[in-house]
Amino acid sequence: MNTGLNVPNWTGVSASLLLVALAAAIAYRQRLGLTRELVAAAARAGVQLVAVAAVLGVIFAHGGLAAGFGWVIVMIVIAGQVAGRRGRGLRRAVWSATAGVAVGTIVTLGGLLAVRVIAMQPRVVVPLGGMIVSGAMLAAGLTLRRLREDAEQGRPAIEARLCLGLSAREAFLPHQRSALRTALLPAIDSTKVVGLISLPGAMTGLILAGVDPLTAIRYQIVVMYMLVAATTLAALATARLAEHALFDHAHRLLPLLENLRAMR
Amino acid sequence: MGGFTLDAITVTRGPVRLLDGVSGCVEAGRCTAVVGPSGAGKSTLLRVLNRLEEPTAGRVLLDGRPIGEMDVPALRRRVGLVAQQPVLLTDRVADELRVGRHDLAAEQSSALLQRVGLPVDFATRPTAELSGGEAQRLCLARALAVEPEVLLLDEPTSALDGLTAALIADLAHDHVVGGGTVVLVSHNLAVVRRVAHHVLVLHGGRLVAAGPPKEIDYLETG
Repeated sequence: MNTGLNVPNWTGVSASLLLVALAAAIAYRQRLGLTRELVAAAARAGVQLVAVAAVLGVIFAHGGLAAGFGWVIVMIVIAGQVAGRRGRGLRRAVWSATAGVAVGTIVTLGGLLAVRVIAMQPRVVVPLGGMIVSGAMLAAGLTLRRLREDAEQGRPAIEARLCLGLSAREAFLPHQRSALRTALLPAIDSTKVVGLISLPGAMTGLILAGVDPLTAIRYQIVVMYMLVAATTLAALATARLAEHALFDHAHRLLPLLENLRAMR
Repeated sequence: MGGFTLDAITVTRGPVRLLDGVSGCVEAGRCTAVVGPSGAGKSTLLRVLNRLEEPTAGRVLLDGRPIGEMDVPALRRRVGLVAQQPVLLTDRVADELRVGRHDLAAEQSSALLQRVGLPVDFATRPTAELSGGEAQRLCLARALAVEPEVLLLDEPTSALDGLTAALIADLAHDHVVGGGTVVLVSHNLAVVRRVAHHVLVLHGGRLVAAGPPKEIDYLETG
């Protein structure tokens, strides 16, 4: 397919590997202990992208909408696993993260599809779904990490509130608010400076594809608002579900799983 | 009211038995002291009484009713616990007093501060400026603001600077005179002798003696 774009050929891609080699050489010279990780990450990214491109090619050509949504579901499951690891020690962390990412994705992507702001095509659903899942995953992971820290370090304060007759929800509320603020600040900050400090992905892609910048920003605005909503919903849902698993029916803060194992 | 019956309470954590078949009673309208060496299970017993800790075996009755059947936040408003270490939850003293009692009036705040030996003008002070002893007193006042029937005091004299045993003794006495119940965990045997009507002696998680202070050898020997 001739896109009329100056897309690098495989020789160009191989040449860009020299940049990784340069970074790896600097890391090696500086004895950062990161050379192996850097090379492995670059190799992994390359292999992943080639594999994904091959799969997406098949989905776009033959899979139809069902395969597109299937791909989004797979992304949600993987994102749940990754974000869930940030809450290691919390009960049902992976479930909370997966459900949180799913809520953020379904509401935003579903909403935009329902009102036909975006087209119901795999070529649209998959990349936009990827952006949403990625943003939601970061928010869910940050939320879980903060909740985990607060459940561990904030135990005396939480128990002091419980002792005053507050319910588990009320006793944990200040910690939950603080975790949500932490999780949402990166999304809010990047929304504030969008276009000033960074030209975001969708807009960059469209401009590279030759679309007029004024047209490209319309898409970008939709993507940006969608991401803000998705990260907020994902963080809220994850926090709510994870918080529920922190306490038992008697409004007692349960020990973290690794502490429980240490006790045994 | 506010009397507890302990029926063979056992609390285990991993291989450790924090409480081991403790049976006894905490009489309503009286001050019961829990004494014993460190690690005897005194703090665990207090946590069992307001369900911060669940017994592995046995049960606790409050006024004849198993506490396991009660609404937990309501139980904790009836049975207030002041923990060993003071933990402040807000930025300002007046707000601190309202954590468990949102409708607390300014006059009530002043009365509470006076009751724990803090000046009334402390209400506007930032909690970050309080000393350890002042923080401990504020925690006491915060617990009293909820007007609990039973006051569980976990070694409150341990972090008090300037607040003598006399204030704790007076608070415990006043609470009992007002019809409330006090359970006091303390290493300060002079306070125990002064205010307690009944003493439970714990050792290694077991109840090794119980009775009026005069009959408890531990209060003499430590």
